[in-house]
Amino acid sequence: MSTTIVVARQQLRSLARSRTFVLMLGILLVMTGLSGFIGWSSHATIIRVYDQTVQTLTAAGKAAPPNPFASKPRLSLLNNMIIYIPLIGSLLAIVIGQRSVTDDRQAGVTRVIFSRPVGRSSYFWGKLAGSAFAGVAIMIACLGLSVVGLGLINQGLPTGSELVRLALFYALSGTYLFLFVLVGMVAALLTRSESLGLFAGVAVWVLVTFATPQFTSGLRPVASLNPVNDPVATSGSPFFKVTSKAKPFAVNEQYKALSTRILTVGSRLQPATSAGQLAPIAAFLLALGAWAHLLVRRQDFSEDTARD
Amino acid sequence: MTSTVRALARHEYRSALRSGVLLLLILSMVLVAAGSVAIASYDFKAQVADYQAYLAQAKASGAPVASAPQFVPLQLLRGTIEYVEIIGAVLAIGLGYLAVARERSSNTLPLILSRPVRGRDLFLGRLAGAAALVTTILAATAAIAYLVVGTVGGHWLTGTELIRLVLTFGIAILYLLIFYALGTWLSARSKVVANGLVVAVAIWLSVVLIIPQIGDTMDPDNQVPGGLFAALQVKKPDEKRVLAHFSNYERIRNGLEETSLTKHFERLTFAITGIKDKYNGKPLGTIAYAKRADIASLAVYVALLGVLMWRGLKRESATRRET
Repeated sequence: MSTTIVVARQQLRSLARSRTFVLMLGILLVMTGLSGFIGWSSHATIIRVYDQTVQTLTAAGKAAPPNPFASKPRLSLLNNMIIYIPLIGSLLAIVIGQRSVTDDRQAGVTRVIFSRPVGRSSYFWGKLAGSAFAGVAIMIACLGLSVVGLGLINQGLPTGSELVRLALFYALSGTYLFLFVLVGMVAALLTRSESLGLFAGVAVWVLVTFATPQFTSGLRPVASLNPVNDPVATSGSPFFKVTSKAKPFAVNEQYKALSTRILTVGSRLQPATSAGQLAPIAAFLLALGAWAHLLVRRQDFSEDTARD
Repeated sequence: MTSTVRALARHEYRSALRSGVLLLLILSMVLVAAGSVAIASYDFKAQVADYQAYLAQAKASGAPVASAPQFVPLQLLRGTIEYVEIIGAVLAIGLGYLAVARERSSNTLPLILSRPVRGRDLFLGRLAGAAALVTTILAATAAIAYLVVGTVGGHWLTGTELIRLVLTFGIAILYLLIFYALGTWLSARSKVVANGLVVAVAIWLSVVLIIPQIGDTMDPDNQVPGGLFAALQVKKPDEKRVLAHFSNYERIRNGLEETSLTKHFERLTFAITGIKDKYNGKPLGTIAYAKRADIASLAVYVALLGVLMWRGLKRESATRRET
């Protein structure tokens, strides 16, 4: 068995034993299960609110406006997942990345591992493969829960095209989350203290999830938690005219925009635009991957265990 | 405050200062607050510019003119308050956790307990130290917010506005102390201190992010950019008549939001600062009466987490004394 596979297997076993991982995974899966129900409940209520509005306006002799929700796609009931993935999934991913480094350090096994003929690159790729496998398994579990949720709400299984779009959405989400796995890894490799590494990862998460959308689109932190939001008009402000130029590099906004399009417009997805939205995520992924690789190669694994 | 309590508080404060954590937290909060107030100021200026353009068009076409956007300086603090409720809370949990973790790794508690220190002194000392830490962070945040409102927003806060600003940040200190107590309690009762941090972060995730998010998403007016009733061009009286048919749904939604401590903090501070238009310009007494339920809920949380932190520290002391 190759070294990379052995390291990946050990990483998966270690994750399964980690309480942090299990707790965060539990929260993500519960919220995935609930997201369909929340979407359905909000949608059903808003349709009733619209019907009631029409009745009220008609009784007052006023003209009723057209229903803005008449042609809402069925997958848009899962819109909340576009929030839960960057919110809960990213924190889970940081934990995965961080634990991939600190677990070995805490157990003092890194010195044992490198006393054997194990290359730094094999170790790095093993850690990455283990984290990627965990990520894929989590996304498959979320996909399964979403299919079941949609089946129950719509009283029928999703169509073939809807299944493809759901798979695309979770593939994109997995890629986005892998970015945070690498953030967790880099933060842990740069700090000797476990808690400081975790805080550094959370700081990056805050920057990506809340601060950047506020800078580029004027979205307040709480507004970022709503799948339907109202960015500021950039036309009248020289400030937003400049900051909105950074929007293509804001990974969180690009992820949300592309996810919304996958879940709502489906077959009308334009490959060029989608590739443009995926590009910053891929670029950051490659940059962070290269940085993590460099740090693993240079790290002094002969040091003592992690401090707290 | 007894000299023992003062000494313990000073020890708590200095430890955080020495580790560099305090400076890091001050820097983070100051940066996000400054950015947030500046962005809100530019946002308001953009609204005014858009209004001017609309006004010119409306005058040219002879159409009726809507009123100009109203400038309420304290409304520029909305993003900052939201950062305090989200990031401040997790930082306070971190401070509570670090206090326990630091003590365990440096083994100072058995030394403190070898002296005539009562459990009450230990609790009050820790709490006073934490209050000083949180006050330092929030005072720096409030000061930068004041400066940015003045320089970028173009308005220096008046005496009344300053009182409201101080009151808001005073409530924020209590809010963060609740999370500090949560972090301390859960870390102190865990054999592996990091496990306590994880449970505290999971509670933070649920209380601060998930529950308010569900409540917001379930709000019918949040389903369309700019608001459902605005999109349907429905006037306020008609909106009220329509929503009267959904009182049960609204009650459930509101009940869900009220389980979150964060929502109580947000409702109270948004009323004081006039971010919620309904309370804009209202006297503080009227606001306190209208928001008595939120004040009571915050008081209950303060008392509850205070008791839990006390119990956590007592348990920690007993365990460390044995070892």
